[in-house]
Amino acid sequence: MEGEEDYGFSEEEDYYYADDGDSHDGLADNDDSALQWAPPKGSTTKVITKESLLAAQREDLRRVMELLSLKEHHARTLLIHYRWDVEKLLAVLVEKGKSCLFTEAGVTVVENVDDDAPLSSSSTITCDICIEDASADTATRMECGHCFCNNCWTEHFIIKINEGQSRRIQCMAHRCSAICDEAIVRNLVSRRHPNLAEKFDRFLLESYIEDNKMVKWCPSIPHCGKAIRVEEDEFCEVECSCGLQFCFSCLSEAHSPCSCLMWERWSKKCHDESETVNWITVHTKPCPKCYKPVEKNGGCNLVSCICGQSFCWVCGGATGRDHTWSRIAGHSCGRYKEDREKQTERAKRDLYRYMHYHNRFKAHTDSFKLESKLKESILDKVSVAEERELRLKDFSWVTNGLNRLFRSRRVLSYSYPFAFYMFGEEFFKDEMTDEEREIKKNLFEDQQQQLESNVEKLSMSLEEPFQQFSQDKVMDIRMRVINLSVTIDTLCQKMYECIESDLLGSLHLGTHHIAPYKSKGIERASELSSCWNTKLGSTDEYLPSGGTSEHDRPSGSGSSDDSGCSYRKRAKKEGGGFFDLNLPAEIVDRN
Amino acid sequence: MIDFARVQKELQECSRDMEASGIKVTPKSDNLARLTGTIPGPISSPYEGGTFQIDITLPDGYPFEPPKMQFATKVWHPNISSQSGAICLDILKDQWSPALTLKTALLSVQALLSAPEPDDPQDAVVAQQYLRDHQTFVGTARYWTETFAKTSSLGVEEKVQKLVEMGFPEALARSALESVGGDENLALEKLCSG
Repeated sequence: MEGEEDYGFSEEEDYYYADDGDSHDGLADNDDSALQWAPPKGSTTKVITKESLLAAQREDLRRVMELLSLKEHHARTLLIHYRWDVEKLLAVLVEKGKSCLFTEAGVTVVENVDDDAPLSSSSTITCDICIEDASADTATRMECGHCFCNNCWTEHFIIKINEGQSRRIQCMAHRCSAICDEAIVRNLVSRRHPNLAEKFDRFLLESYIEDNKMVKWCPSIPHCGKAIRVEEDEFCEVECSCGLQFCFSCLSEAHSPCSCLMWERWSKKCHDESETVNWITVHTKPCPKCYKPVEKNGGCNLVSCICGQSFCWVCGGATGRDHTWSRIAGHSCGRYKEDREKQTERAKRDLYRYMHYHNRFKAHTDSFKLESKLKESILDKVSVAEERELRLKDFSWVTNGLNRLFRSRRVLSYSYPFAFYMFGEEFFKDEMTDEEREIKKNLFEDQQQQLESNVEKLSMSLEEPFQQFSQDKVMDIRMRVINLSVTIDTLCQKMYECIESDLLGSLHLGTHHIAPYKSKGIERASELSSCWNTKLGSTDEYLPSGGTSEHDRPSGSGSSDDSGCSYRKRAKKEGGGFFDLNLPAEIVDRN
Repeated sequence: MIDFARVQKELQECSRDMEASGIKVTPKSDNLARLTGTIPGPISSPYEGGTFQIDITLPDGYPFEPPKMQFATKVWHPNISSQSGAICLDILKDQWSPALTLKTALLSVQALLSAPEPDDPQDAVVAQQYLRDHQTFVGTARYWTETFAKTSSLGVEEKVQKLVEMGFPEALARSALESVGGDENLALEKLCSG
């Protein structure tokens, strides 16, 4: 059969998609000079706007163009096929060779430009699609060598673009998997539908976001129009320049130290009625007549439903109304129903367990909200204090303390759903014995409680009316806030270490990844410079004059800073915010 | 809009070499958007001797979008629905190319009849049978060809009747016919030997 060899095609694409990719797409850290106080590595997370979208993919394109001496549209076709994973692309190159790499992606590089020769302007060809004759100037030969009339090409392109296939428009010839030259597509389509040609360009450009696992649209609603690019680790939390903080991996709210899977289950559990249903099972029985759930609010075992039906609370069977305290006339149900009893017990236990964790989770989330409101009034106190003639002029410890409070509250809140699943039966029932579970649970809870008590202390200290205090008392409270902040930071780190090495790290299932602890808070993505030439079409000549090539970048260095726990001292930024050299570097004071 | 000029040319081309290919395409009505294709069952396959009718509907984007094809004749094949006649063939879906024609597409369908792909089935029941009990599959496919794809030869009922008249019990005659794919001579042989 003719079609067999092409069946595997889409599977290949999935394979590349599913594969891991340590994509070093080598960006130029142009804007870091403005942020001198940041650690040398700077914010590797970048915001990509409509304007900088081309600049963002330029580095990848250029790398592939240079390595394989290709034109831009070929490099783009390759990168789209390999989902912008340059490392993967290079691996295929090394493993299977250049021609295989090109064939799989549908790239045809014309070695000999004279191929166009037979198509002189005087000759005519017969287009195999419309079966009409066409003069050479109304026909186009694609790089794969197939020639059809322009009308048919245009029709083909329009249908493919409207089908959402812009990124992989193949040649019209049967079994030819060559991808059409984007310039030809653009040129022919714009003659008939300029709007559609623009759409085509946008689809091509947005492939960098849509087909790239290191780049994702910001999930803000209404959408801010930006995308975020991360480096190296996709399990992280980011902040878009629109202010939204989110988990890059699952795009929901930032939930570390919960894994994405845990968070998904937890939010579902909190939202739907499953727990209500549990309560109903434990505390009610259905009326044997109208089947409504009936709650027993005291009295003997003869219950009557609002529909008028009486029934026995012990067995749920319908009865008459005639009874004494210990007997219902004509009814006996001494038999023990073990299954039912067990089921009820279990449901009750699960419900209480859930309530325990949920109450604490909610308490900390509520505190977080309250404290966010408090921020205003605390900052007011700072300005009052600054007015006073005190020896201490620097009140950055207040802001730093507040930020530390917010961050640790967050960790604390999400540590409860984490514990709910970590020590529950849903995910890890067979992963550890009951004794192991108990030991680990105690270990974790000790850390959690330590963190909890320090966080509460910090919260209390910050709420004190220090603006009215005497000089010495202010110094006292300052020391307390600074010390508590440092302790809390260390405790958070320890908790994450415990999770990574003793809890999740010891499991066989590798499905739970958590975003690492960032002492400085969720990293705000920095704007990507868009000063490069953003005009499409004139880009084939683009060759940079040295500067930010991959080899010039410090690679490998600074990876130890990734945990964000750097205690590096830094220069005080002119005219900006509050700084305290005793504390870990703060990114920015977010309003 | 459908390129009717091309469809017209395709029809001419097709009727020109109908003798050689055995493939026929005729419009159902005047507008050329609905047609009927006819293919002979491939030689040395259970479909040999049958004539299969295929309903063809051309979408607006034809030839840039694939034609919709469906068997009108009932057929027992892993890649063709025994209920609806829907065909599972790549060139009728994402592997369609505007350079293909109705004739080449029908030729591919014919090729599919002789080379089923049970790993990518349209009809799971048939595919299971094809893989696990090939003998029965061939028998059923032949029986269906005999019953539904041969208009000229005798109907099954008539063959049963004939065997009954020869003195065989009706149920036995029917099952014998079914097991040999409807060939009355083979059925007779089987009945005599068994």
